Amino acid sequence: MLSKALLEDVLTQALTTGGDFSEVFVEDRFTNLMRLQSSKLEGSLSGRDFGVGIRVFKGLNSVYAYTNDATKEGLLEAANAAAQAIQGATSENTIVLPYEKQLINSVHPIELMPNSVEKMRKLQVLRNADDIVRNYHSSISQAIIALVEEEQNVLIANSEGTYVEDKRVRSRLAINAIAANEHDMQDGFYGPGRHQGFEYIENLDLNHYAKEAARMAVTMLNAEPAPSGKFPVIIDNEFGGVIFHEACGHGLEAASVAKNNSVFANKIGEKVASDLVTYIDDGTITNEWGSINIDDEGEKARKNVLIENGILKGYLIDKFNARRMNSESTGSGRRESYKFAPTSRMTNTYIAPGTSTPEEIISNTEHGIYAKYLGGGQVNPVTGDYNFAVLEAYLVKNGKIDKPLRGATLIGNGAKTIQKVDMVGNNLGHGAGMCGASSGSIPVNVGQPMVRISEITVGGTGANN
Amino acid sequence: MDLQVFREQLFTEGEKLGFSDLEIYYEKLSSFGCQIYEGEIDDYRSSTVNGVSARGIINGKMGEAFTEKLDDASVSFLLHNMIENANISEDEPGELFDGKAEYEDLNFFSPTLSEVTIEEKIEFLKQVEKHIYDYDPRVVQTGYAAIQDQLIEKALFNNKGLELNDKNNFLFFVFSVVVKENDETKSDYYFKIVDDFSSVDPRHIAKEACEKSLRLLGGKSYPNKSYPVILESNTACELLAVFTPAFSAKSVQDDQSRLKDKLNTTITADVLTLQDNPHLTNGIRSSTFDSEGVPTKPLTVVENGVLKTYFHNLKTAKKDGVKSTGHGHKLSYRDPIGVRPSNFYVVPSEVSKEELYSDLKEGIIITSLSGLHSGANSISGDFSLAAEGFYVKNGKIASPTNKMTIAGNFFDLLKDVEKVASDLEFSPMDFYGYIGSPSLKIKELAVTID
Repeated sequence: MLSKALLEDVLTQALTTGGDFSEVFVEDRFTNLMRLQSSKLEGSLSGRDFGVGIRVFKGLNSVYAYTNDATKEGLLEAANAAAQAIQGATSENTIVLPYEKQLINSVHPIELMPNSVEKMRKLQVLRNADDIVRNYHSSISQAIIALVEEEQNVLIANSEGTYVEDKRVRSRLAINAIAANEHDMQDGFYGPGRHQGFEYIENLDLNHYAKEAARMAVTMLNAEPAPSGKFPVIIDNEFGGVIFHEACGHGLEAASVAKNNSVFANKIGEKVASDLVTYIDDGTITNEWGSINIDDEGEKARKNVLIENGILKGYLIDKFNARRMNSESTGSGRRESYKFAPTSRMTNTYIAPGTSTPEEIISNTEHGIYAKYLGGGQVNPVTGDYNFAVLEAYLVKNGKIDKPLRGATLIGNGAKTIQKVDMVGNNLGHGAGMCGASSGSIPVNVGQPMVRISEITVGGTGANN
Repeated sequence: MDLQVFREQLFTEGEKLGFSDLEIYYEKLSSFGCQIYEGEIDDYRSSTVNGVSARGIINGKMGEAFTEKLDDASVSFLLHNMIENANISEDEPGELFDGKAEYEDLNFFSPTLSEVTIEEKIEFLKQVEKHIYDYDPRVVQTGYAAIQDQLIEKALFNNKGLELNDKNNFLFFVFSVVVKENDETKSDYYFKIVDDFSSVDPRHIAKEACEKSLRLLGGKSYPNKSYPVILESNTACELLAVFTPAFSAKSVQDDQSRLKDKLNTTITADVLTLQDNPHLTNGIRSSTFDSEGVPTKPLTVVENGVLKTYFHNLKTAKKDGVKSTGHGHKLSYRDPIGVRPSNFYVVPSEVSKEELYSDLKEGIIITSLSGLHSGANSISGDFSLAAEGFYVKNGKIASPTNKMTIAGNFFDLLKDVEKVASDLEFSPMDFYGYIGSPSLKIKELAVTID
């Protein structure tokens, strides 16, 4: 994407004011978005992003500059802008990269590159999903089906001799179903995605995913307002894991740990969770949505055990925060694009499976809430306070799933919630999501088996409990 | 490749391939941002990025594509994808604006702001951070001390000779202060956009940022029930922001808005008037034309409770048999034309915020909301959000509350607005447009207190 000689010049230029580390991240990305609404292809947009990010460290100072002027002058100017922010002694170290680029042996095979498939063939999948949603029930008033595909080519070089290229291909189908009656509208959503090509989309079990989205919308149309108060809450597998993503995952990222901004800072080896909790971030799972070959700092992806049987084992660390923590990168430096400096982020994060069956968990719950599908959430990493929307919830009465509930929000504190996990199921599943933080919006998987938490505050619009 | 050359090449080759109409939207973003942590530069970024999005009509159908790389290969990449996207399009025949219109001659670029040096900005952050640490022993740290400026240059060209240009710059800073007393930790954000940097006073800003967090210490629990609620201006505009898509004619036509069939009917309490003003001098969404090239003008959307119009772009306007209101905005060249407000806000009154609760026997003031991207359903209007704030007793603030959730329905809430204050503020989230509101008094909302 850029010649080796130019990369060396830029890395060298960036260090002229005394920086001790420089890095170039080049990105050439093709995206394709197709959106079917009212059974018509309403939007089809293709695009190409291209740009270069240059980063310089000096001790605990970090500077980032980016541009999409990839001429020699443009890049040297950006390198210079970054260097100007570093105040050190001038230096004349010349950076020389290895002779050969490191070749990545992809562990995430791609069969059908998105750009090699005709858009008509892609449209057929959207139509099939649309049919399934619309035929599900007479109250379905709208279906919006979107296909998002991207091919991201990156080149990463740094003053420590990293010189590597990678290709990431991701495909995701977002199914949105809307059900309406004369006074209300509710929606249902399912968004399966993988680090894979069009073969994943074409082979998707639409009968499952599209039907689930439709069923969710129709069920919620007839749901009663959720009660407020404290309840045992059963959270189902797959995307349910978003609760631990917010409640613990963000607090285990070096971005908050390094500055002692996290409740998990300085607690390695201590018991931070219930014995039933083993929490893992694994970027190497074949073709999963959050998987990577290398991170956005050129480090190989790996499996990081964060919490094991309740004991805190490790954090997710990027190169810059590794300096503050006197530690090593864990292959967790990620960014949305060249427009962001990387920081420590999650990949595929999940609670390891336990031994209870889902049936046992429900039948052991006398009075509680069953959260079948969670929506997004948010956490304040300083305090660990989080909140989540539940897309589909039910009351659990006498060990049985009772009536559906709408409008439930779960609020609580991450550090407390993981101590209250009192049952872990054996049905581990992963769900695709987008995670937003300081280095942008990146694809991550959240996952878990069915989990029960002995008490969470539920905020709803119904009668107080 | 130079933009002028790129656009001529795209128009010439496009016409050869059979495009009747062609249009290029260009955007260049230059930005500097910096963050301080304990007196040291913690984050520093500078950038220049540009990109174009091209639209064209071929065989009566519209195709669109974008690129950030302006080279020969991108000209063919754009045209190839525009043809393929037009071919599979099932949309009504597309239309590009011919540009036969009058444009206001307004300037949203502040030269004095562009002259503030990087050193001045860093020094400002260091001073504010120092004043924050000196302000009160309960201040533990600054969670965030950041400044950012942005210059946006936009242009629109078509192959019929239309050529429009606009530029807008702004600067904002954010401070979050973490405070601790006994075992209680609290933090809140202080955010401000300015178009005049010479008047900012670091000591005053530090004081306001600290007070925003300190006032939250000492939280107590109160009964869970429905209370009269005051939404402080920043929370009122965040809430309005999430539900602005309901005012878009696109959502209405797609059966995704509860405001469908509500034109010229009462949709809010009569104390509410909502305006969209694309010509605000310090509005970050100010512009004289939208992303389709349609001239913009101030618009009253809700007048004393009555819905007067939806936001329209060319396509939605044609469908409804009306004129575009100039709201065919793109978020950037990477996004398709949508329908978005510019600077959209609740018109303030003369009443102070304190007067909203001075006659309340009991009530809740909401000072911050979280979970807006997940706990609010922009279609149904239902929301259930985590919140912080105060408990009011006999017209006075009694204490902060423990963590809360508030739940209700946005469209019902609009009807329950009893009073509007004078303290108009705009939300830092500008995804939906630049959205503003003064503090609002709501008749009642369900509140759960931890």
